[in-house]
Amino acid sequence: MPNMEFQLGLALPTPSIIKGFDLNNLGLDHPKDMCGLEARNKPPRCFGDKSKRSFEQAFGNFEAECKTKTLLLLWSGQPNEEEDHNDQKKRTFSTIDDRNDAEEVDQVVGWPPIKTWRKKIFQQQQHRVGRIGNNRVADKENGSRSIYVKVKMEGVAITRKVDIRLYHSYQTLTNSLITLFAKDKKCADDDYTRYILTYQDKEGDWLIAGDIPWQSFIRSVQRLKIVRNWG
Amino acid sequence: MQKKVACSFPDEVLEHVFSFIQSDKDRNAVSMVCKSWYEIERWCRRKIFIGNCYAVSPRMVIRRFPKVRSIELKGKPHFADFNLVPDGWGGYVLPWIAEMAGAYPWLEEIRLKRMVVTDECLELIAKSFKNFKVLVLFSCEGFSTDGLAAIAASCMNLRELDLRDSDVDDLGGHWLSHFPETYTSLVSLNSSCLGSDEVSLSALERLVGRCTNLRTLRLNRAVPLDKIANILGRAPQLVDFGTGTYGADLQSDVFSSLAGAFSSCKELRSLSGFWDVVPAYLPAIYPVCSRLTSLNLSYVTIQSPDLVKLLRHCPSLQRLLVLDYIEDSGLEALSSSCKDLQELRVFPSDPFGEEPNVSLTEQGLVSVCLACPKLQSVLYFCRRMSNVALVTIAQNCPNLTRFRLCIIEPRTADFLTLEPLDVGFGAIVEHCKDLRRLSLSGLLTDRVFEYIGRYAKKLEMLSVAFAGESDLGLHHVLSGCESLRKLEIRDCPFGDKALLANAAKLETMRSLWMSSCAVSFGACKLLGQKMPRLNVEVIDESGPPDSRPDSCPVDKLYIYRSVAGPRFDMPPFVWTMDEDSALQVS
Repeated sequence: MPNMEFQLGLALPTPSIIKGFDLNNLGLDHPKDMCGLEARNKPPRCFGDKSKRSFEQAFGNFEAECKTKTLLLLWSGQPNEEEDHNDQKKRTFSTIDDRNDAEEVDQVVGWPPIKTWRKKIFQQQQHRVGRIGNNRVADKENGSRSIYVKVKMEGVAITRKVDIRLYHSYQTLTNSLITLFAKDKKCADDDYTRYILTYQDKEGDWLIAGDIPWQSFIRSVQRLKIVRNWG
Repeated sequence: MQKKVACSFPDEVLEHVFSFIQSDKDRNAVSMVCKSWYEIERWCRRKIFIGNCYAVSPRMVIRRFPKVRSIELKGKPHFADFNLVPDGWGGYVLPWIAEMAGAYPWLEEIRLKRMVVTDECLELIAKSFKNFKVLVLFSCEGFSTDGLAAIAASCMNLRELDLRDSDVDDLGGHWLSHFPETYTSLVSLNSSCLGSDEVSLSALERLVGRCTNLRTLRLNRAVPLDKIANILGRAPQLVDFGTGTYGADLQSDVFSSLAGAFSSCKELRSLSGFWDVVPAYLPAIYPVCSRLTSLNLSYVTIQSPDLVKLLRHCPSLQRLLVLDYIEDSGLEALSSSCKDLQELRVFPSDPFGEEPNVSLTEQGLVSVCLACPKLQSVLYFCRRMSNVALVTIAQNCPNLTRFRLCIIEPRTADFLTLEPLDVGFGAIVEHCKDLRRLSLSGLLTDRVFEYIGRYAKKLEMLSVAFAGESDLGLHHVLSGCESLRKLEIRDCPFGDKALLANAAKLETMRSLWMSSCAVSFGACKLLGQKMPRLNVEVIDESGPPDSRPDSCPVDKLYIYRSVAGPRFDMPPFVWTMDEDSALQVS
């Protein structure tokens, strides 16, 4: 397979429509400009390569020549000497770009490909969740008074978020959570009375939900957790 | 030698015949038959589509087609939607409006996509075209509601005003009151992108009330839920309605008047909007759900069970936009309720989170593809995929024309086998013979491009990110995809070889975008020098590319065919590679 790269410079199997228009034979053959033609086909240092190619091969001759980049990409995973796909999920890209807002520090520019105005809507919601540091929302700007809290169920990988403003009692909240997590529960546990709903209050303490009036509860709750009741 | 009599019809007859030919391709073919047909055709062409505003100049268009009534222009490259094109790049429509103001006094329709429109442009439109009817500004920017006020005040025959996805400086809702009280022609209004909290509700209600031909009304978020009943009450003939905010404290009288208003809209087929949804209000739309063909729930942040409850009421649904809160279980329910589904778009609710926050995987998409035989268009964001899932999708949905898959983490392998997803996407292009648009993601080698080049003969647009291993990948696409018009690539190890070897192919395409790849400045210069009918533009915000060696890769490259020559409205960070550039000392 690597040999194919070099065959490319010679007689290319071009389709009948476009014949013999190969600019590879012009201009760029000048030795001064070659500067390692092979190196050009390898990704520059800027982004990590998770394919079979070894990490060292990914370094071209670009480092020495191309210093002026305002975009710094940090590799926050481990070098991929062999096929080690187990690491892939944990890898993230970090981009430091002076031009972007602080909220974009941890993201590759323009990825995932979501239109800017859609991103704004998501970021509004995420910011609401993250503001004041405890997953609460008090967004009066557009009239919405959603309160998103994270809900974790013991034994389930997914952490969900619910807007507790949508409910008016413990009963409606638990019913909704039951429906939500119904498909996630393990087959072995099929009796819901064995779960209890706990919450973390403003002081950081974990308490059993249901003791205080609903209105006090929604003012106080920071997170929810559904745990197995062994007692 | 006997000459055949070419045509003995008078010009008027030919013109009449040509008036039945609407498609651009057919019109172009007609104009190539002979000189007299070229002449007749150009005088009676009423509609022009220009996919790249820099491919031709306004003067050239006007010179050839003197009697145009409808024009559509597109400006920035598609990747501008994702912030990859710096501000100030271009796409200004003012030069076009200025020329057309004099040349086309009877212009009726202007449709723009990804262009910079200013209030000055809008005022010029309002002043210059007495019979102006349609203004569509799709993903445009640069104007404010003051410009809209000018349109509203002057265009007595305005039928359609559609601002979809545009970035508008919303100075409040007073622009609506600039529609005169005598104005009644409105058929379609889409102001959903306006962001101000203020909106002139009374002006809106009066406008809706007197425009009895109104078919499409998409409100912006500022319009509160309790006003919907009033508005719908004045326009029961609506076919397409977009709510504003759809949340409020639950009040039974508000609910019942809302439900009553919806049930009187017998023609309603499409719903959208639904910002800040309170689930308790959703049942108000149940009366219209059985007739709905299109539903946009992409701002609706409610959980799967509530979404499913709603979707079960919509058996006629053909088009659904939804957030990934729907989860695999919800998509499975969708597939059993909505057998007529043709288009599905699933957006990520938490695209930047490292952990998945919803249980949405490839299974959801597979279940829809297995159960909905009419599915043609897919946009799907998820966090894992497998070759076997893609093969299943390909085999069960051979009618797919648009398939865009975004696996959120770049270069994610098949989660079952840990292999690249080449085979899966290969199956898509092999089985879906009418595929026109494809977006790739996940771990992909050059092999996937080999499949694409071999099978994707009808493919017109391809989007590639973090994929491939060598120039061979790009070569497969450029040499194999016969119908390719638009190719956009980011963060792939494609360099000079494939590009230079397929230089002529670029003249058969509308445009090529490559960013964060490995194309050298020297290759760009060479292309610019040797291909005079291509505009080769290098975008680099870190300084002039010729301050670095020729072998250095360029940051961003945009190549497009043009008969207008290099453009002269480039900002400082865009360099054009024309015939002279190769002579410049680097």
